[in-house]
Amino acid sequence: MKKGLIYTIIICFLLLGCPLSGTTVTAQELLGDVSDGSQSVYVHLIRLYDGEGTAIAADDEPAQPFSPRQTCGKCHSYETISKGWHFNAADPNVVPGRPGQPWIFVDASVGIQIPLSYRAWAGTFRPEQLGITPFEFTKLFGRHMPGGGVGELDSDEAMRQFVSGKLEINCLGCHNAHPGQDQGGIFGYASQIAQQNFRWAAAASSEFASVSGSAAAQPDTYDPLMSDAVATKYRANTFDDTNRVLFSIVRKVANERCYFCHSNVNVERHGSEKWTADEDIHLTAGMTCVDCHRNGLGHNITRGYEGEDEVSENLLAGTSTCEGCHLGTGSSVPEAGRLGAPVPEHPGIPPVHFEKLTCTACHSGPWPAQKTYRCKTSQAHALGTHGANKSPDALPHLMFPVLAKQPNGKIASHKLIWPAFWGTLKDEKVTAITLETVRQVVGGVTGGERLPPSGDWPDLTEAHIAKALGSLQESVEGTVVYICGGKLYQLDDSGQLSKEEHTVAEPYLWPFAHNVRPAAQSLGIRHCEDCHATDGPFFFGKVAVDSPLVSERRAVRTMIEFQGIDTFYAWAFAFSFVFRPWLKIVALGSCAFLAGVLLLYALKALACVAKVLVGND
Amino acid sequence: MFRTASITCFVIVLVGIAIHCLALRPKLGGLFGKEKQKLKLVGALRKLVYLLALLCFAVLLVTGFTPRLLLGTPIAGYWLMLHATAAPVFAVCVAVLAVMWADKCRLDKNYWPWLLRILHHQSENKAVPEKHELAQKVCFWLIVFLALPLILSIILSMFPLFGTHWQEFLANVHRYCALLFALIVIAHTYLMALVESKRNTAK
Repeated sequence: MKKGLIYTIIICFLLLGCPLSGTTVTAQELLGDVSDGSQSVYVHLIRLYDGEGTAIAADDEPAQPFSPRQTCGKCHSYETISKGWHFNAADPNVVPGRPGQPWIFVDASVGIQIPLSYRAWAGTFRPEQLGITPFEFTKLFGRHMPGGGVGELDSDEAMRQFVSGKLEINCLGCHNAHPGQDQGGIFGYASQIAQQNFRWAAAASSEFASVSGSAAAQPDTYDPLMSDAVATKYRANTFDDTNRVLFSIVRKVANERCYFCHSNVNVERHGSEKWTADEDIHLTAGMTCVDCHRNGLGHNITRGYEGEDEVSENLLAGTSTCEGCHLGTGSSVPEAGRLGAPVPEHPGIPPVHFEKLTCTACHSGPWPAQKTYRCKTSQAHALGTHGANKSPDALPHLMFPVLAKQPNGKIASHKLIWPAFWGTLKDEKVTAITLETVRQVVGGVTGGERLPPSGDWPDLTEAHIAKALGSLQESVEGTVVYICGGKLYQLDDSGQLSKEEHTVAEPYLWPFAHNVRPAAQSLGIRHCEDCHATDGPFFFGKVAVDSPLVSERRAVRTMIEFQGIDTFYAWAFAFSFVFRPWLKIVALGSCAFLAGVLLLYALKALACVAKVLVGND
Repeated sequence: MFRTASITCFVIVLVGIAIHCLALRPKLGGLFGKEKQKLKLVGALRKLVYLLALLCFAVLLVTGFTPRLLLGTPIAGYWLMLHATAAPVFAVCVAVLAVMWADKCRLDKNYWPWLLRILHHQSENKAVPEKHELAQKVCFWLIVFLALPLILSIILSMFPLFGTHWQEFLANVHRYCALLFALIVIAHTYLMALVESKRNTAK
């Protein structure tokens, strides 16, 4: 009897207990995961925890750097946050969406400038193709990464990763409102990344801790208790008497935090002098970046492009676009004018323009000139970090605005980079050769050329390329090629250098929206000829071709080559606008005659009817 | 909507004309007259302008409706350029023809006997208008009248006066006026052929 009762209890436990326990594990909701709706800012007076989850106290010796995963993760689900757009690039299950700004690896000494991304954006290369491991990638670009994602992947350099630790999400990088948050300073976040102090980066960037020492300088047998170990020191008065620390955390991130990773500068018009350039019109009007680029706990921030709602789970993806605020999305209730957005009239602009152009084509970036400008960005040029090259010629060379057709058929403003790299050609596909091989082989050939202090290309010649290809051919299997300036170079059967256009040599373009110009400076504001002119930059502007080869540096392409429009048609259509005033005069004159005839005979008819009515006929 | 309406209207008008042709078997052979007539300068000019107008109309009809009706796309590209090239010439021709034909196409009291009957009024002029003449003249005045919104709707949209909503409205006005205009021009051309061939045969 007792045995039966015990079995029954065990079976009941197995049937009910296990699934229930599973449910509680997966649906765990932390204190800060869901808002109660209050618009006020929660005061974060909290304990710090190290990477092991041990609480940090003021008198700990040696002091450990706090871990955002352990500290912030006590109240906010780190795992959920880590799936957000800023952290999920390396997740193959994430839909890449519209092409975005890639990371750009540059090594001028061997003629390399190549767009990299873990996202499947056509035209970019995966870092591992060049032999760049996640650890190496973090070392190179972690300066402008918010942590998490690639920074937390296991790498082949297990021992180095053991010393450096993983680069956890640095929540403070965005959410710390304290002016002492140091992302680019000499002891700040970017400097810590350069020294491979991944574990210490978040603490070092905060206003209440400082870090000394370099993980890069530590041996694989690193011991945290060694005298020259990387050390963390919390400033006086950081901890209160209960060992809690006051954070200046805000939900609504300040523009300056976004700017650290998302600054742009038109080096040809403004150089690096930011006081000469205007900000985006939205920011000038008093808005913040996160007014439009919003996210919830999942940090799946809206990118703000048309059609994003098809690939994003963010509830606001469909409405956080230019049209969403300025025109509404056709809902049954009025939506236009969100956040005070003026509703545009677009007088005199035929509606076909809205089918063929994105808003950014006319409103974003600098007013198109006869030739594209060069620009620098935080991520590409390490802007805002200690020792960033301030020269306008520093690589990588990014061109903008390029008015090119997107996959959805609309022309938009783009930034552009011409890839330059060494690869092998097989079945019309080019595979990049690893950096290690290129540096060993090509470095010896091109190394004789002096690298300019401006950070520009060295003066490479076709002889350099031919010699380097010959040397590489001896070290690498397959047909060795060099891609640069939109062309593919290879040695022909006679050993002579030949060049041809190739799809893999085509530039990588990504659309941009900021800075948005005021409506009074948008294309078409003056007249149709802002774009429809036979020499108008919209169709016939020159896109500079960038190449390390001296002989190719003056090469240009025409904007229309990126628009999928027949050149003669665009020219003829633009030419027809010369006659547009005549068309208007002739048509209005004809209308005047027609109206005159109608009026005259209407009056005659009226007179006739009147005569009949009075019997005077 | 516009595509369906256009196809339906064109089919109705063309089928109507075909049925009329088959049922009444009009003698269109006399249209070009066997005897060579000596044309005065004005008459020659009028015919020349009319032929030019017909040619432009054909170009506008093809370039305007083919993309919408057959290709299912809005008018763009070379279609649009041809359309915009023929349009001002056609506008001038219509204006010139309006001036030249207006007097000839007056609808005097012989065309509205019903009104005279209502007013118990006897006309001194007993001339009976030719068959189809009334319909042809009504078509003429409709053409002149419709040409105004047709031209103005597209020309006004070229000035920075109207926003997107009104631009779309003007485009629709142009589209539907063009449809009506095209149908009336086809009918007018057929009726004129009937009247002219009858006159020539009578001579």
